[in-house]
Amino acid sequence: MMIIVKHVKAGDFSYVSHLDTMDVLHRVLKRAKIDVNYSQGFVKHMLTYATTPIPLGAQSIADYYAVDCNNITPQDFMERFNANVPEGLKAISAVQKQKNPNLAGNVIASDYRIKCNNILPVEIEDIKEKEEYTIDLVKKGEIYQKDIRPMLFDIFVDGRDLWVRCASGNVNLRIDSLVKHLIKEYKIETTVNDITRLNQLVKMDDKLVGVDDFLNTLQ
Amino acid sequence: MNDKLKEILLQVERPARYVGGEFNLPDMNKKCDERVCMCFSDKYEIGMSNIGIRILYHILNNMEGIVCERCFAPDLDLAKLLKENNMPLFSIETKRDLKEFDLIGFSIQFELQFSNIAYMFDLANIPYFAKDRDESYPLMVAGGPCSVNPMPFAPFFDAILVGDGEENLTKLAKLHKELKSQHLTKLEFLKIASEQIDGIYVPAFNNRTKRAICKNLDETFFPTKILVPNCAIVHDRATIELFRGCANGCRFCQACFFYRPIRERKVDTLVKYACELMDNTGYEELSLSSLSTSDYSGLKELVDRVRKEADDRKVKLAVPSLRLDSFEAEIYEELNGASLTFAPEAGTQRLRNVINKNISEEDIDKAIIGAMKNNVKNVKLYFMIGLPTETKEDLDGIANIAKKVVWLHKQYGTSKIINVTVSTSVFIPKPLTPFQWERQIDLEEMQEKQKYLQEILRIKNVKYNWHGAESSVLEGVFARADEKIAPVIVEAYKQGCVFDSWTEHFDFAKWQQAFDKFGIDMNYYRAEIEEERPLPWDIIDNGVTTKYLLKERHLAYEAKTTPNCLHKCNGCGASKLGGCFQK
Repeated sequence: MMIIVKHVKAGDFSYVSHLDTMDVLHRVLKRAKIDVNYSQGFVKHMLTYATTPIPLGAQSIADYYAVDCNNITPQDFMERFNANVPEGLKAISAVQKQKNPNLAGNVIASDYRIKCNNILPVEIEDIKEKEEYTIDLVKKGEIYQKDIRPMLFDIFVDGRDLWVRCASGNVNLRIDSLVKHLIKEYKIETTVNDITRLNQLVKMDDKLVGVDDFLNTLQ
Repeated sequence: MNDKLKEILLQVERPARYVGGEFNLPDMNKKCDERVCMCFSDKYEIGMSNIGIRILYHILNNMEGIVCERCFAPDLDLAKLLKENNMPLFSIETKRDLKEFDLIGFSIQFELQFSNIAYMFDLANIPYFAKDRDESYPLMVAGGPCSVNPMPFAPFFDAILVGDGEENLTKLAKLHKELKSQHLTKLEFLKIASEQIDGIYVPAFNNRTKRAICKNLDETFFPTKILVPNCAIVHDRATIELFRGCANGCRFCQACFFYRPIRERKVDTLVKYACELMDNTGYEELSLSSLSTSDYSGLKELVDRVRKEADDRKVKLAVPSLRLDSFEAEIYEELNGASLTFAPEAGTQRLRNVINKNISEEDIDKAIIGAMKNNVKNVKLYFMIGLPTETKEDLDGIANIAKKVVWLHKQYGTSKIINVTVSTSVFIPKPLTPFQWERQIDLEEMQEKQKYLQEILRIKNVKYNWHGAESSVLEGVFARADEKIAPVIVEAYKQGCVFDSWTEHFDFAKWQQAFDKFGIDMNYYRAEIEEERPLPWDIIDNGVTTKYLLKERHLAYEAKTTPNCLHKCNGCGASKLGGCFQK
């Protein structure tokens, strides 16, 4: 059976990298004495599945972690999980499913809120009207330019808050790269620390729906 | 954490090292009258692996009215940003300026960390020398393995703690807390402390001090609810300490003589600690730690019982520091497919007798054959070069052992391939060992010997690694240096020397410049010392007598060995400190 836990990654824990977070979560499961299933290879590892990482320093209230385990209810899982997490990690819901929902493969977008220190210019929303929007991205230390418009699904401003819906998962737009570009182009006052992932989305019947709703459709 | 620091941390590598928040963090908000900062003069990933730091951090936080925080040497990227932003070095837990603590304790693990003391003081805006600090600064003390000879760094500190921190650091912190209301000066306080507590050397008094020890290790606090780092560290595993001290008496080994007498924990105690540690940390590996695990009297029972508990929890059990002559069939089975690492230290039986490394050719053969039959593909061999009385024949002996491993693999090996890695380090005469009077070979000699070994170790399937000669020279200088070296350390730091134990940062030329500036010849500290000459570390009473060390030195020159003291007391003198199982 599979327990899928939705958890927060916030505060100082946002400085913990994705790979380190995976190790931390494995230790949480061991401390919580959750009967996790292991792979059957030569080097056995826990059968756990995470969703797309968020940038170092950014926070999330919608990270998902699927655990292949036995003999535990979602409620019990959540209680034991939360009793064993370091500061900054916290489960906010858990569901049980028969199979791995493959969130890493199914999630195609994420919603982010970026809190800023200044009132944001509404012109930022004009990006939606553009056919192309090229920004600097970094890969293996090399800066290159890319048209990210196809990966940017929505963007709007609300006073000091900027809301972005963009590609996440196998095709991924790094939200920190976009924010760094907006800081330069629109003089918005913010840092990576002010980015929060609010939701992850899956495509169902040609519509984007939240992972929670997607999980509700599964057995 | 303030916004500026948050922003800075986004610009550095692996910021998780600086934010804290690890699982099992003690209560930092408890009512406290004494705030201690435990500093470690290397990076987080090294310091958090240190069992001594783990013990002292938790023991202090378990004490009433005392809160202990941590501070590790920040990486250069953070240090640069702190300086640029005029921000002082801070503690991990509350991001407090180090100057705001009541007591600061540095753990100094080995000689190449000395420049990092100056680095951390500078980043914390604390004057380097104790004499330049007024009463507004915290009481600053240092301890750790380097307190064997604290003289090179003693001028930086108000006091040096010699011996087991569970004894002297806890008592010092408690006394400091209790006497706070009396508003004593640091020296007034240290006068009282050094009279009441063992193992407190105060440079201003130059008092001879007896090493503090935990006489009953079994009843000494051992933390099982330890911090679990949120990022990878060097030794990312739970560890239980079986015993303190070593019975073997290898004549070059400082740990062997410094940590005497041998004090064991009981099997029941250790099994309890192992279970608690596995449950409280969630680590996937548990290690049994000591200087020579094979010598633990209850090893078989302990391994059997701990292995059962570890298997139940899907935790891997690691048993390092096994002596070669203790290998048994079940240990070979453990090796299946893995690496075998052992340290003959010298290439011939004669030289092994000189250094009192009590393993024979037969032991080596037996261990290798056992490993070969159990699918071992990698064999790592550790040796030292420049040992007293070493000849070319001894160097040839190193190559002979490597060749023998390859040959035995052909005879007995079950794996298709064999990789033999030979590593050599350079002998460094260390204080409080029978070789403390020996000379260290010159840089040129080191390089010649390494070059010779490179040539004779050009053997198929054999790889040769060697430890940097220049850093060994510096280590050799610091090991037996006196207080004249302290300003050189500061000067070298000012010239850019920092993290000297990290190959990528080590710059010998800068060290040479710093020594030259003060007109100090490095070779003075590396030459042979006359047996009658007073030594800088004579102020430390370690239990082991000079007479015993001299006797051992003379036996070395006769290539005569001294047996392991588990069976018979050799009369080293450490038993007078108390707690020795022999008396």
